[in-house]
Amino acid sequence: MDTLLGILHMCIFPGGIFALVIGFLFKGLDRRVEARLQRRVGPPLIQPWLDTAKLLTKETLIPKTACREAFLMAPVVGFAGMAVCAAFIPIPGVFNGLYNMGDLLVLFYLLPIPAIAVMMGGSASSSPFGAVGFSREMIIMLAYETPLLMILLSAAMLVGKAMNGGDWGAEFSLLKLVEWQEVNGSLGLNPVMIPAFLAYLIFLPGTMGVAPFDIPEAETEVVEGPLLEYGGPLLALFHVGSALKTFVVLGLGVAMFFPGTLCDCWFINLLWFIFKCFVLMILSLTIVKSATGRYRIDQAFRFFVMVPTMLALCSLLMVWLI
Amino acid sequence: MSISTYTMPLGPVHVALEEPVYFHLTCEGENIKNVELTSGHVHRGMEQLAMQRNLVKNVTLTERVCSLCSNSHSFTYSMVVENALELEIPERAKYLRVMAEEIKRIASHLFNTAIQAHIAGFKSLFMHVMEVREIMQDVKETVYGNRMNLAANCIGGVKCDVTDELLEYILKQMDVIEPQLEEITDIFNTNHIMLTRTKGLGLLPQEDAIALGVAGPVARGSGLVKDVRRDTPYAAYPKLDFDVIVEQGCDVHSRTMVRLRELFESIKLIRQCCNKMPKGEVRYPMGKIPVNEAFAHSEAPRGEVAYYIRTNGTDTPARLKWRVPSYMNWKALSVMMRGCQIAEVALVLNSIDPCVSCTER
Repeated sequence: MDTLLGILHMCIFPGGIFALVIGFLFKGLDRRVEARLQRRVGPPLIQPWLDTAKLLTKETLIPKTACREAFLMAPVVGFAGMAVCAAFIPIPGVFNGLYNMGDLLVLFYLLPIPAIAVMMGGSASSSPFGAVGFSREMIIMLAYETPLLMILLSAAMLVGKAMNGGDWGAEFSLLKLVEWQEVNGSLGLNPVMIPAFLAYLIFLPGTMGVAPFDIPEAETEVVEGPLLEYGGPLLALFHVGSALKTFVVLGLGVAMFFPGTLCDCWFINLLWFIFKCFVLMILSLTIVKSATGRYRIDQAFRFFVMVPTMLALCSLLMVWLI
Repeated sequence: MSISTYTMPLGPVHVALEEPVYFHLTCEGENIKNVELTSGHVHRGMEQLAMQRNLVKNVTLTERVCSLCSNSHSFTYSMVVENALELEIPERAKYLRVMAEEIKRIASHLFNTAIQAHIAGFKSLFMHVMEVREIMQDVKETVYGNRMNLAANCIGGVKCDVTDELLEYILKQMDVIEPQLEEITDIFNTNHIMLTRTKGLGLLPQEDAIALGVAGPVARGSGLVKDVRRDTPYAAYPKLDFDVIVEQGCDVHSRTMVRLRELFESIKLIRQCCNKMPKGEVRYPMGKIPVNEAFAHSEAPRGEVAYYIRTNGTDTPARLKWRVPSYMNWKALSVMMRGCQIAEVALVLNSIDPCVSCTER
């Protein structure tokens, strides 16, 4: 019964279909808001659906020199990883998350899967652009995973210490984190955690691959990089995976920093959660994307070491010492 | 080729290129070891074609060599034919020619600047610059009836007079565009990402610039005071007041700044043209074609354009030859691309504002 329920959670709510609907809605809103910031009209909100539907009707082409199995596997791995991830995100007042034991650690291991899938696809495609994209993706991943680990650790340690009455401890259950915040106030408003929250805001464009960190897939440099050889349903699967990832990283941010609920009605809480995700996306993705250009890979790496890693380290040290 | 290097194609069709040209980049990781270039994708045999058409038809032909500096070609071609015919053009026509040239220059420089933002991944800035450029496109369309090829020049003067009403409109649009250009210049001069991406990139030291004989903003970006409009003035330029913009940085950023600062000089020139222009005729008839040879050159947005013509008494030229600035600037790429990265190739290439169609014609 539990297994069945787990599969349902991964396929329908909050993973799978629900996450996809929200992810595509966010992608559409993102394009729309970006267009308005550039004084354009922008595409209709259902454009991501239309794009995917069009891609699904196209034929699947595999380069002769590509490693066939890895090339076919890559988008599936990326999609599956994110569909599972989405089920771990608790929606406060609506859904408690699939596992309540150390799911923060599981998420940390699952989050890089789309990036790994892109790397796998890029290197399997046997195109030089894919190879450059692969090396860039690897560098940028190293750069943003470090601050993420520190952010998760500082949140876990802060709550763990508080729960242990000031003694050493770490709480790796996202649900416990959310419950603790309902009583003690949001972590995003906690002065100790503000640097970590800022670091998370910088981590978001890095992991989502938007400007100024859209380096692996830079169109004018490596022509979409690892995704260059992909087309049709396989590319659609990458897009779907990316939409799911939007939901996962935004949802994780909201659950970790601002999980507050409005009332007991689950529907209003759900809308409230989506609204907070939307605000987070506008702040960290859309505005940043339309206000910056693209870094070179070494500049981006240096930036990630200098700013978000240091911010996250700040929080971690403060949590440790206080 | 050793194991650690690989070849990466850039072009002939590539997002960062407006025109087809093919770079073979030999890379080691992100670093470029060698650049080889194949061109000729847009060779149309225009010089041969020009020798089969009569002098008047060639005005239309030369205007279609390239899109962004189309006016410079018909302008210089008209001048070279007038030199061969020993024909002096009306005073008003000289001012009208300068005006058309400077309007095209603003649009061309803004286009190049916008593409730089696009290559650096700065989509909003690209949109912004293109939006400002639209003001110039409107001016072109309103005054000349066309957004790209103005068809302003003809042998003996200009095709159409510009009425006082239109001159007033041009002046008004100049007032509209000027503050917006100041804003754009400020963004390119202060924006963190644009500076980190373009400062110190694609260095062309002054001695290399002299040795390679580069032209236009590439030369002026490397500290060379080189401008045909000032060195050997033609049309109405001797009577107009403007500065030659020079930057000492020798990098991609200084070339951009030369282009952006030149916009204000162009606005100054257009304003002077509108105010100083004498009344009178705009075109003189051609007269008899002698056996002669002549040379003319002018400062196109990308640098010096030079035309040579030999007439044999018939209405078709015996030889028509032109040299475009991109040909000289192209050679400088080998110096600029020394030790740069894959991410920078497109930016460096764009900084010489290459006109492939002009060069291959």
